[in-house]
Order: sequence, then structure tokens, then C-alpha cells
Amino acid sequence: MNIDIKHIAKLARLRIEDDQLEKFESEMQGIVNMVEKLPDIDDELVLDASNPMKLRKDEVADKKFTRQELMQNAPKVKAGCLVVPKTVE
Amino acid sequence: MVKGYEVVIGLEVHAELNTETKIYCSCKNQFGLEVNSQVCPICMGMPGTLPTLNEKVVDYAIRMGHALNCSINRICKQDRKNYFYPDLPKAYQISQAEVPLCENGYVDILVDGEERRIGVTRIHIEEDAGKLLHSDKFDGVSLVDLNRCGVPLIEIVSEPDMRSSAEAKVYLETLKSILQYLGICDCKMQEGSIRCDVNVSVHKPGEPMGTRSEMKNVNSFSAAVRGIDYEVERQIAVLEAGGTIVQETRRWDDVKGESISMRSKEDAQDYRYFPEPDLLTIVVEQERVDELKATIPELPNIKILRYVKEFGLNIKDATFIAESVELAGFFDACMAKGKFAAKCYTTWILGELVKFMNETGKTLADTKLTPDNLTDLAEVIENKTISNAGGKKVFVVLLEEDKPVAEIIKEQGLAQVSDEGALEKIADEVLAANEKSVNDYKGGKTNALGYLVGQCMKASKGKANPGKMKEIILKKIEG
Amino acid sequence: MLKNKEISSTELTKSVFDRIKAVEGKVDAYLTLNEENAMAQAADIDSKLDAGEELSPLAGIPVGIKDNITTKGLRTTCASRMLENYVPPFNATAMEKVLDSGAVITGKLNMDEFAMGSSTENSYYKPTKNPFDTDRIPGGSSGGSAAAVAAGEAVVTLGSDTGGSIRQPASYCGVVGLKPTYGAVSRYGLVAFASSLDQIGPLGKCVKDVAMVQSLIVGHDKLDATSAYREYPNYESQLKTDLKGLKIGLPKEYFGEGIDPFVKQSVLNAVKEMEKQGAVVKEISLPSTDYALSSYYIISSAEASSNLARYDGVRYGFRAEQFDGLTDMYERTRSEGFGDEVKRRIMLGTFVLSSGFYDAYYKKAKLLQRRIQSEFAQQFEDIDVIAAPTTPSTAFKIGENTGDPLKMYATDICTVTVNIAGLPAMSIPCAYDNNGLPVGLQLIGNRFTEQTLLNTAYAYENIVGGFKMPEL
Repeated sequence: MNIDIKHIAKLARLRIEDDQLEKFESEMQGIVNMVEKLPDIDDELVLDASNPMKLRKDEVADKKFTRQELMQNAPKVKAGCLVVPKTVE
Repeated sequence: MVKGYEVVIGLEVHAELNTETKIYCSCKNQFGLEVNSQVCPICMGMPGTLPTLNEKVVDYAIRMGHALNCSINRICKQDRKNYFYPDLPKAYQISQAEVPLCENGYVDILVDGEERRIGVTRIHIEEDAGKLLHSDKFDGVSLVDLNRCGVPLIEIVSEPDMRSSAEAKVYLETLKSILQYLGICDCKMQEGSIRCDVNVSVHKPGEPMGTRSEMKNVNSFSAAVRGIDYEVERQIAVLEAGGTIVQETRRWDDVKGESISMRSKEDAQDYRYFPEPDLLTIVVEQERVDELKATIPELPNIKILRYVKEFGLNIKDATFIAESVELAGFFDACMAKGKFAAKCYTTWILGELVKFMNETGKTLADTKLTPDNLTDLAEVIENKTISNAGGKKVFVVLLEEDKPVAEIIKEQGLAQVSDEGALEKIADEVLAANEKSVNDYKGGKTNALGYLVGQCMKASKGKANPGKMKEIILKKIEG
Repeated sequence: MLKNKEISSTELTKSVFDRIKAVEGKVDAYLTLNEENAMAQAADIDSKLDAGEELSPLAGIPVGIKDNITTKGLRTTCASRMLENYVPPFNATAMEKVLDSGAVITGKLNMDEFAMGSSTENSYYKPTKNPFDTDRIPGGSSGGSAAAVAAGEAVVTLGSDTGGSIRQPASYCGVVGLKPTYGAVSRYGLVAFASSLDQIGPLGKCVKDVAMVQSLIVGHDKLDATSAYREYPNYESQLKTDLKGLKIGLPKEYFGEGIDPFVKQSVLNAVKEMEKQGAVVKEISLPSTDYALSSYYIISSAEASSNLARYDGVRYGFRAEQFDGLTDMYERTRSEGFGDEVKRRIMLGTFVLSSGFYDAYYKKAKLLQRRIQSEFAQQFEDIDVIAAPTTPSTAFKIGENTGDPLKMYATDICTVTVNIAGLPAMSIPCAYDNNGLPVGLQLIGNRFTEQTLLNTAYAYENIVGGFKMPEL
């Protein structure tokens, strides 16, 4: 199975430089060849209901963090918001 | 049909649930607070954080499922929808893919007097994203507010069963009133707590369904109507000119009144759905499903049908009352007494009461009006103890005070005089004093009668039973 | 625990930091040191002990933490450029438990970037060296955690294991490492690699230390929906050396051609010693082992590709300096912030989840996972513990496998199946080769049978009289 490196990179928001492309492609191909060797298996993925999830109660927790604390690792902040390049829908 | 084309409309409605906390963390679920103040490491997607599912979200979604006659998938899961956007902290949205919590339902609505059943494909739970703020003042940047990240949403997807923009509007308004009846969403479109995306296609009768386009940024129900109408015209124009419709996402611009194709992210948009590994299987006990079903009241769309069929209300009045939980509850209680026809109540509810509510901004609950005292009022009018004018005076008091109707009538001396003898005496006096009018009437001026009756009412200080008064005057004039 | 007034926490902590100063230049186990705070923590514990307070067995003990476990106020990099300056505002749950016990935190330990790797050579910052031979790798991804214990730069450490990342370095560095049952230890605060496989676990010089730490970190966490609702024993107090009647299974698929003969023989010898003490050994088969490596890479990469998508330069972490528009910012940030191995795994994961390939790869791998799980379950009906090598060979030289990802992946072959099955497993040293390099014996148990594993390990440790640490 051949993989379209450029397309996958775009989906993953990664950039593979042209000079690295060939090496990357062959590494990826090798890995894909390895993982391809799976036997055929005809079952359906049935949901496992034997360990149901216990749901959380709808109760507000005490606020443990200030905005300052939560934003302190942000690369760029303005007027209390995170700054990103202009993004129009 | 428009210009010889069948119109096919499907709607996707997102409703924010008004739970106390967000769907995957215990942050307060509240609108309108200072930017980035209602967040925590979890809804911000910080490294190492994990989601936990809020049980109320499941409850509310199931109740909506019951209200829309869906089958409930007691055993289901959540899935990750992967894409990059600044308002999506984890770069994936936790949603539901192939197994939604509810599916295969329908809702009955009344469109132009016709009963229509609109299919509901599915209802699923998911998290909302943050908000991007744009402004020309911001130099080439956009700002991100994450408060809304993690607000719980239900997505309600309809079957492509609607055939006109009018139908779509009724469907949307019905969903809104149902959400309000269930008390699970405050439905404030201006705050974004209810949003819709519109899917439209056209085709010639007998031919297969056309390619649909999806339209976003529809910010009100009337905008939905405008958007649908525009899109229908646009698609027809393309087809008539020999073109084909492209499956795409378009952005509705309500100001300009047109839809614009969004940068075709379509081909790049592969969401790579897979089951959310941080959450286990959702298993809702059948008992719980049944318990939740019992909490569903008679829903507004069903009420409308009942009001029209059983009580003879017109659609407009029926819808108006049914869409308000308060008014409908009140009206139903009045009618339950089985004493009077609907009109005896609706004149007051739709007339004076609504006027009062609009003028003062108060709700029914703010008044002292009860089904009991309104029924008493209806009675004294039906049996002509007081006139309609008198009734209005009583009503005004009933809004403010918890006073028996009889007492109000006594206090204000509103009892009508219906005694024939007394009325005859007044009539004789008035007729004697107004010979000219009598002759005018005899000469063909019918409105002279009104004048004469008016004079009688004046002479009786408003207490004469106007209907009876009129009868007596006429009898005397015509001999 | 060794501290019944023989030595104070301050003395112990100081001696550990002295050791760090002496050998860290050769070992490079740490990314961030926490000396000042550690000494203050130690002093605090000493005063509590002097006042006669009853404290946890871990109180005052110098503990090192793998750098993918979030520590409030202490830089957590995951050995990546992407989080070079990231200081978390909260502690991982396991971290809270360690802190509550009064442990002294020595610092954050080196690892393969985002836990992806088998040698710690994928760290953005530096490789860690194996204390037994500093030309060799310590293993990965918890290379720093294992090396620090072996080098005496911490008494115990916390690592994480997704495909062998605790056991394999424990094996290469001759220390004891335990990967708990999936769900036993909370993952809240463990920077996610593969959500359905990751677990935090302890490493130490002896079984007792590992048992003690394990008891402290287990338990249900309401912040982690995948954490199990269970009560756990005090593992250390229940340790016993009696092997009589213990049923040990030897899976033939783990003793095949790819395993170095010396490693094979060492493991079999160790099992023979246990047999002499009354254990019963039988050969078993786990046929799906063949597919385990592929299933592992599909599942872990898929989940990783999604878990690492959040590193986009918006809310925290590295952001590229130059970019033109949003997409460019994302691409540059992620391409400059991530190393090659991380990018490979993200690409593989994105591919297997992408439209048209999901059924053929991810879905199939998940179905095989169920098969692997039921195969183990079936075997555990008749046996108590599985014994196997931890790694196919002893530690390889730095740089030996970095040119060939597949060769690197193959070193995981004995460990990944365990993560796929969600089972607990340990590695303990069982021999030393001609170069003095340790060989690891892997013990695998059924879900939540950590006590059995610890007992087996403890008994073996008792037979051999303890595990030797290297001269540095």
C-alpha cells in the first residue's frame, strides 16, 4: 500500500522538506509494509458493555486556577485572549 | 415547488444544554463571562488532561430523544473528530460517530393547517468549541476565547423531509419550543445557545434527489428562511443554465442576502473518526431510560394539534399559547374544569393578559391570576352579571390582587342592570329626549341606534346590560 | 523506609545530590534538577519525623520523575522542543500521591521524546547513558528513570510504559521495573502517548522499594474515566518468598530465533532456579504474538497522532518564530517542535486513521487486540505467571540502531504484547553477559495480579541475594 506522504503531512499539519521526502517516504513505506502483515479477521467491533463508565455528577467544582495561571504558558496573549494569525472561516 | 423544482431541506440543529457544568469537566457552564475565565486545564486541552462525562448531559439528550420519538441507544460510545482550528484546544472534538445516543425519531408539526411528520435521523452529544474574535482593529490577528470549550451540545439531525422554507421555520420553532418545554436549553439564538446548519437541494419531479449544499452561519430562524429561499433560487439558476451543483459548504451572509462558497476545505477535511480511548462505553440502564421518559410532558407541537382539533383554536392562537410552557399550563388547567368554551379564556389570555405582560415585562407567574379566578370571571360574563367592559375592570384587579371576583364586582358596583323594568324606564326616558335620533334611525341611519343605546348606557352609569338595552330600544322604536 | 533513624532525609537527599554531581556528567539521566526544593522538602520531613509523626514509607525518600509526568511549577518537557519551557499549573494524580507521601523530588528525568522510542536517543536534549557501560543506551523511553536508579541518582523513580518503556530500560540497566495493569494507576497528568496503553509505574533497586511505591500510586481517580474501581493491597507488607506451587508458563513465541542465545539461556536458568524452589513450569503458546508488534504500532501511532495534535503553538509550548498565516504557523511549529521519530509516528497514525484505511488497519488491529487479550486470559486459567525475556539482547551501543526505525521497533518485541493485553508485567535482572551487561527476566501476570508478580520477583531476588548496581 503506497501512502501519499504529502497528503498525510497536510492532514497532520507537518511539513516534510523536499530533501527529506525520499528518506521519509522509504521509512514510512517500510513501517507500513510491516504493519500490513495482519491476518484477515472477519468479526465486528462490538461495544464492550462489561465495564460501563460511571458518569460524573453535574456539580460545579471550586475554581482552582486563575486565568493568569492557565495562560502563563501561552506564546502570545492580548486582552486576556490567545493570539493567532487572522483566521476567517 | 419552486419554478417547477421540488425543494429538499434537511436541518442540523445544535443546542447548548443548560447543565451546571461542562460536558467533560467541572467548569461552570455559563454564558457571557469575562474571556478565558471559565476554563480549566481539561477544557483547555493541556497536556496530560482527561475528559469525564457529565451524567446530566446524557439524561437531557435522552429526554430530547424521547420527545422526538427516537429509539435510545442505551449502549453507545464517544468518538474523536480530528481537525485543526484555534478554537479547538485538543485538535479533536469529542462527539459521536456511528452510534448516536438517539436515532430514528420524528416530530409532528402543523404547516399551513396541514399535519406534517418530519423525520429525525439522530441526536448525539458532543462538546462545543471556543470562540474566535475578529476585528479590523486587530492587526492581522484573531483572538481566541476558550470559555465556550466543553459546553455540552446535542446535535439534532433531521431527515431531508422538509419541502419549503416555511416548513423549515415551523420545524425549527417546534424544536425550540420542545427544548424549552423540557427545560434543557435556554434557546437564546443571539447568545448562540441554539444554532442551525441548513442543507438544501432541488430536483425536477420524478428525478432523483439533487446534490445538496450545506449552509452555515445561519443565525436566526428567519435567516434560515431567507437562506433557504436564496439557495433554492441559486441552485435552480445554476441548473437551468446547464451547470451542476457542487457538494460544498457555503456561508450565509444575512446582510448581503447571499451565500458564499467557503474555501473548499472539503477535500482536506478528513476527520479520521475513531473511538475515544479516554472514555469507556456509555451504558444507560433501561430503568433510567424509562424514568426519563416519564418526565416528558405533553409537548407543544402535540398541544397545538390538540388545541386546534379539540378546542377549535386557530393555528396562530394555538401556537402562541402552546409555545409558552406557562400559558399552555394555565390554559390546560382552565379547560380541564370543563365549564366553558376555549374562547371564554383565550379572549383574556391572548388579549388583556398578553398586553399586560408585554407592557410590564412580567410573566404569568408574576400575576395573581389563577385558573380558578379566571373561570369565575368567565362565568359572570357568560351569565351576564357584568358586561365585557366590567370584565376588563375585574381582570385588572385579578392581575394584582388575590380577591374573589364577586367581591370586586361589589366593590366597584359593576353588576349590570338586566332587570327589564328598570331598563324599560331608562329606554323610555332616552327615547323621549332624543326624538331626532329616533326619526334618523327610522329614516335609515342605522348608527343612530348605537347613539341611542349609548345614551342609555350613560343614563344608567354604564350599568345597563348593553345587549338587553339594545333589544328594548329596538322593540320600542319598531313598536 | 531504610530510614529508621539510621539516616535522616536531609543526609540521604544530600548524598543523592552529591552522587548526581559526581556521575551525572557520565549518565545524563536528568533534564531538570530540583535540588533547592528537595532539600527543603527533606528538612521538612526530618522535623516531622523528629516530632514523632507517623509518615508514609516514602516520606523523605529521594524520588526522580520521568519528564512526561506533569509536575506543578516544575518544568515538564517530555524531552521535546515542543514543551521546552512548559511549566504545568497542576500535578498529575500519581504525582500528588507521591508528594502527599512526603517524598523528596530530585528532578525530572530524561526520556525519548513524548515517550516514543526504545533508547532515549530520541530526546531533543541529550541521550542518557547506561550506567553499566556509558557507550551504550539505557533503553527507552524511560531511560532516565532506569539509569538514575542504577547510578544511585535517585532511590526510586517513576516511569511510564506504553510498549515496554519501563521494563525494557529496567532490563538494560539492571534494575527492577513494574508496569501496572492498565487502569490501576491514574493517567491524569501523564502526557498522553497512546491512551489505551499508557501506564505510570515505579522503578527501583529492589523489589521491596518497587512494591512500596506501587501501593502508593494505585487507586481509582475520578479524573480518569479509565481508572479501575478497586481496592489494592499493601504490596510490600504482603511480599513472600514462597514459590511452592507457583505455575509458570514459558511462551514458545518469546524464545524464538530473534532472541540472543545468552538471553534465552539466562531466562531459562532463572526459571530453573524457581523450579528448584517448588515452582511448576510448563510450555505454553501465544500464537497471536506474531501480530502484536504490528497491532501495537497501529494502535499506538493512531492514538498518538490524535493526542499530539494539540501541540500547535496556540495555548502553550513552542511556537515557530516566522510564519505566514495559520496553517503555516501550525506546520512550522509542529515541524520545528517535533523530532523525526515523533513525526514518523504521527504520520503513521494519521495514515492508519485516514479515510479509506481505517478498516484495514486500525479496526483490524483492535480486533486482533481482543484476540490477544483472550489468548492470555485463556492461558491464565492454568498458570499464575508467564516468564520470558524482557529484551532480545542486552543494551546496544549508542547510535547502533538510530538509522533503522524498524530495527529499533524490533527491540520491543517481547514487551508490546503486554500493553496490548493491558496486563501487569515486571522486569528484574537475572544475569550479566560477557560485557557485564544485565539481562532482564520479564514476569507477566493476569490483570490486577501485581502481588503475584512482586512475590515471584521477590522470591527470585532472595534466591540470588539481591541485584547488583554498576560501578561508575
